[in-house]
Amino acid sequence: MIDLRLGPEEEMIRETGQAFARERLRPAMREHERRGSVAAEVVRAYRELGFPTMEAPESFGGQGVSLLSKVVLLEEIGWGDAGAAFALEGAGPGLRALVELGERDLCGDLLADPACYLATIVDFAGRIAVREGRLEGRFPFVPASPKGPVVVLLPEGIFLCREGVRVSRVEGCGLGASGASEVSFDGTPAAATCRDPAALVRSVAHARLFVAALLVGVARAATEYAMRYAQERVAFGRPIAHHQGLAFLLTDMATAVDAARLLLWRAAFAPEAELERLSAWALAEAAEAALFVGPNAVQVLGGHGFMKDHPVEKWMRDIRTLAQLAGGRDEAELVAAECEAR
Amino acid sequence: MISFDVDEKLAQQLERVRTLGREFLRPLGIEADRKGEAIPADHPFFETAWRLGIGRLGPEEDEEERPRSGERTAARRGVVLGEELAYWDRGAAVALPGPGLGAPPIRRMGTPEQRERFFAPFRDPSRPRWGAFAMTEPGAGSDVAAIRTLARKEGDAWVLDGAKTFISNAIRAEWIVVWATVDPSAGRAGHRAFVVEKGTPGLEDMRAEHKMGLVAYESASFTLRHCRVPAENLLGGERYYESRAGFKGAMESFNATRPMVAAMAVGIARAAYDAAREFAREHFLLSRPLPRHRRVAEKLARMARKIEAARLLCWRAASLADAERPNQVEASMAKAFAPAIAQEAAGLAVEVMAEAGVRQDHYVEKLYRDVKAMDIVEGTGQIQRIVVARRLLGYPASG
Ligand SMILES: Cc1cc2nc3c(=O)[nH]c(=O)nc-3n(C[C@H](O)[C@H](O)[C@H](O)COP(=O)(O)OP(=O)(O)OC[C@H]3O[C@@H](n4cnc5c(N)ncnc54)[C@H](O)[C@@H]3O)c2cc1C
Repeated sequence: MIDLRLGPEEEMIRETGQAFARERLRPAMREHERRGSVAAEVVRAYRELGFPTMEAPESFGGQGVSLLSKVVLLEEIGWGDAGAAFALEGAGPGLRALVELGERDLCGDLLADPACYLATIVDFAGRIAVREGRLEGRFPFVPASPKGPVVVLLPEGIFLCREGVRVSRVEGCGLGASGASEVSFDGTPAAATCRDPAALVRSVAHARLFVAALLVGVARAATEYAMRYAQERVAFGRPIAHHQGLAFLLTDMATAVDAARLLLWRAAFAPEAELERLSAWALAEAAEAALFVGPNAVQVLGGHGFMKDHPVEKWMRDIRTLAQLAGGRDEAELVAAECEAR
Repeated sequence: MISFDVDEKLAQQLERVRTLGREFLRPLGIEADRKGEAIPADHPFFETAWRLGIGRLGPEEDEEERPRSGERTAARRGVVLGEELAYWDRGAAVALPGPGLGAPPIRRMGTPEQRERFFAPFRDPSRPRWGAFAMTEPGAGSDVAAIRTLARKEGDAWVLDGAKTFISNAIRAEWIVVWATVDPSAGRAGHRAFVVEKGTPGLEDMRAEHKMGLVAYESASFTLRHCRVPAENLLGGERYYESRAGFKGAMESFNATRPMVAAMAVGIARAAYDAAREFAREHFLLSRPLPRHRRVAEKLARMARKIEAARLLCWRAASLADAERPNQVEASMAKAFAPAIAQEAAGLAVEVMAEAGVRQDHYVEKLYRDVKAMDIVEGTGQIQRIVVARRLLGYPASG
């Protein structure tokens, strides 16, 4: 029967994730942003919990945990510090692609080194081309450490590159804790390739859900913070939350986050035939909700929101940055439209 | 007669602003953002700008404000030039020397003697000067009537106690127009404006806030601790407040500055549009018949349309001001509309550029951070809607 409550397993993972986010990520959020990396002991602590590969097959260290549990966890991590998620996870949005490629050892290597994590590139806009098994082109921005390997999801298939990739550090609008890189390919050979369209769909869907879950988490953080602030801050004789102009805005923010989360859960549950469409919906909705919430959370705090003394300005930047990943809202909407046309 | 043309004089002024913007404002704004520090007050650019008369008051400005004959054009010139300045860099534009937001209250409320005295440094070509306007307090922003900075008469002076926050250019200001109250229970009727000069004892704890954007100018917080201000620095003199509410003076100056801030938002939106269009051209995003590229074209078209609509709202509000007709509704409409579309335009520009749009070495990334403040300063979008709703709908004044 229809039931939209989490089960005991997901609930437990959610609670553990929430505690980790509250205790380890939030307090260090600004410090990690400034350094452009996540403290090694925080990464180790997260990986020791077994979180990074818990939804993968057993041979990859998986624990038979559902994808739903993973997105539930990632929402909490996004709530704590979305930028940190990429470093914590190791393979992150590229995990499913590594599974499809059968790169078990690489996955293990990534998890062994707290300073190393995968760069996952999703490009359906033709910036990277494949010619005779070699990659060509330049990808402007990916949240990843410059020393990690690169997995590339293209219309042609999944490609893993370990050598011959030029990676240079860039600064991003948000997600400071992850660090960011520009990645260039110049006749780069692929160390592994998978051209199975179904595997590609699964991998892209995983990347989209990864980003969507983080977006829901940041948007929830910003909404909660703005709601609390608005109930305390007084203007014109009452809490600003009790002025209808702001009350309606805040309720729209809260609703947008909840709607996006439900679509995310729906997609995490999708049968394979529906995965492409539902994962595209999940990312499109999460991006739209978060892009609505981010600037408005700043707005609710007024001038105080524009200052770095409060976290909402960071969340607004993190959201803007996240919403461009895994193809972003644009690509998700296009894919969803293509599904309609089939 | 309806006209969408600029006259020759304004065209020339625009050309000067363009040169200034291209050569200085844009690069200085970017540099400040990278460093995370405002453009220093002793930057040689300010000196050069001042020598060229930028921000400096001359007889010509007075003439534009109160022409002896012919029509007044200052407000329309203001919005057109404001848009152009912000197009190049909003932060660097606010950092330019001049009396800034302090000018309107002095012009409107000041006695002839005060106008002469406080504007004098701004006519002196020897070195650049800044003015500031301090209304906002940590506990009172939108609810202007709730300011708590207290003013008490003590002999031939006023003593101010309180705190102000987010005040643009206050650290380097020659003087700050500080709003205080003689009676917190009296609401707006208790408000008084004082010109607090640099170095006045009790003007303390000046510190620059760390902002998400608009880094090129300083937003400062400070304390007024037993700060003694000579009686002759009460703006308008005591008589002024007997005949009219001081609050009205502040609100009138908003009617002049709101269209200007809205126009600056339009400038930011246009900068985002241009950057996105240039990127799209360079990467052939418009010339290939793919659905992906169709989306890019639609985004650009939407941006262009909203920019034009917002600009016209600014021009209308300014035209009314020049005609010395009430423009409260029109000013607030412009101020509610333009920052929102500018925020949208900056976001669309990021999306046109996809992942490249969130890189700090692309100007649109900075625009996305800068633009948010436009919906907050000079009355938030919510407050503008209240102003409009009061006039159009009889919405109750308590908000
Ligand atoms: C970059 C920058 C520069 C600035 N420069 C200056 C300056 O030079 N001088 C100066 O005096 N000030 C300056 N300010 C301050 C600015 O004017 C205030 O921040 C602004 O008026 C909002 O006040 P607040 O920040 O206290 O927000 P609040 O008044 O606390 O508002 C918080 C939120 O509540 C909403 N709200 C409040 N009342 C209502 C209501 N009745 N109905 C619905 N919603 C409501 C607001 O819209 C906002 O979203 C600056 C601010 C910034 C960010």
